[in-house]
Amino acid sequence: MNDTNGRALGPTRVADTLLRSLGGHSVLLRLPGLATAGDDTEQLGLSVPVFQDVAIGPVVYRKLRATVETDGTIRAEMLVSSTAIEKQVGSLQFESASVFFAQAVGVIVDGVLMRIESVTVSELFGKPYLYRLELAAPLALTT
Amino acid sequence: MENAKDTFYITLRNRLAALNPDRTMVLRGLLRPGILVEENEIVSAEMPRDVFVLRWKDATVDMQQPLALAKLQCEVVYGTDGNADNAAMDRGRLLTAMDAELAGILNPGHAVKMNYAQEPVTAMSTSLFWSDAAYGPIVSEREHMQRTATVEVFSYEEPEER
Repeated sequence: MNDTNGRALGPTRVADTLLRSLGGHSVLLRLPGLATAGDDTEQLGLSVPVFQDVAIGPVVYRKLRATVETDGTIRAEMLVSSTAIEKQVGSLQFESASVFFAQAVGVIVDGVLMRIESVTVSELFGKPYLYRLELAAPLALTT
Repeated sequence: MENAKDTFYITLRNRLAALNPDRTMVLRGLLRPGILVEENEIVSAEMPRDVFVLRWKDATVDMQQPLALAKLQCEVVYGTDGNADNAAMDRGRLLTAMDAELAGILNPGHAVKMNYAQEPVTAMSTSLFWSDAAYGPIVSEREHMQRTATVEVFSYEEPEER
């Protein structure tokens, strides 16, 4: 249910303030360009799309919660403000935040491209205020 | 071996488009037949639904032939969650339909090998051929049903491919 009297903005502002006070870092979300119609080379791995990196912030990258799975994959989580996501979803003309994340190749944190394993959203009064991304480091970083 | 892998995928993709034009997916903004080669796409944490995913596995080469004969094992992974409007009660039928589609696009089990790495695409001197699908057991998790079928693909390695 959507809130129409402005109450829904409160949690968003609180989340933004909290994330900024905890460092307010920015990361880059890597998005592939659109596929080319009638071109088989990308489907065969002969060519790769052009990638676009878009900045999103404020975020908090929670290394403290990082866990190492039995297969050796290093996982961590990142909290992202809905304000940052809504801005990019709108400017890049995605249908929704879920499509935006589904299209992304991953998130670049300190120069390392981390794959997005899952996305969960926190909502209040029918409006998202925080996204939680579960990230997986590339196998090359696994010791 | 790359030409054999490319030809196998393109052949199955074109046959699927003809056999069931409704089995499509949107990938990076492009509507295309519902089949892909896993190693050629962006790594994803989630297996796409109602789509055939080709996964190349073992490869061996028999050098005791006049032309080296490569044998490639291809896993075809596919699954469905059923139709939400039908409370997923049609998931078994949808998976069986995919079984039949896979058998359909694998027949006939041969194709002229093409070289897609050069422009224009050229036909090569030999053909590749493949076995029928060996269907693995259905793996179910709640409403999701998935099956892996295995196909052996054979291709003579032409001198310019070595």
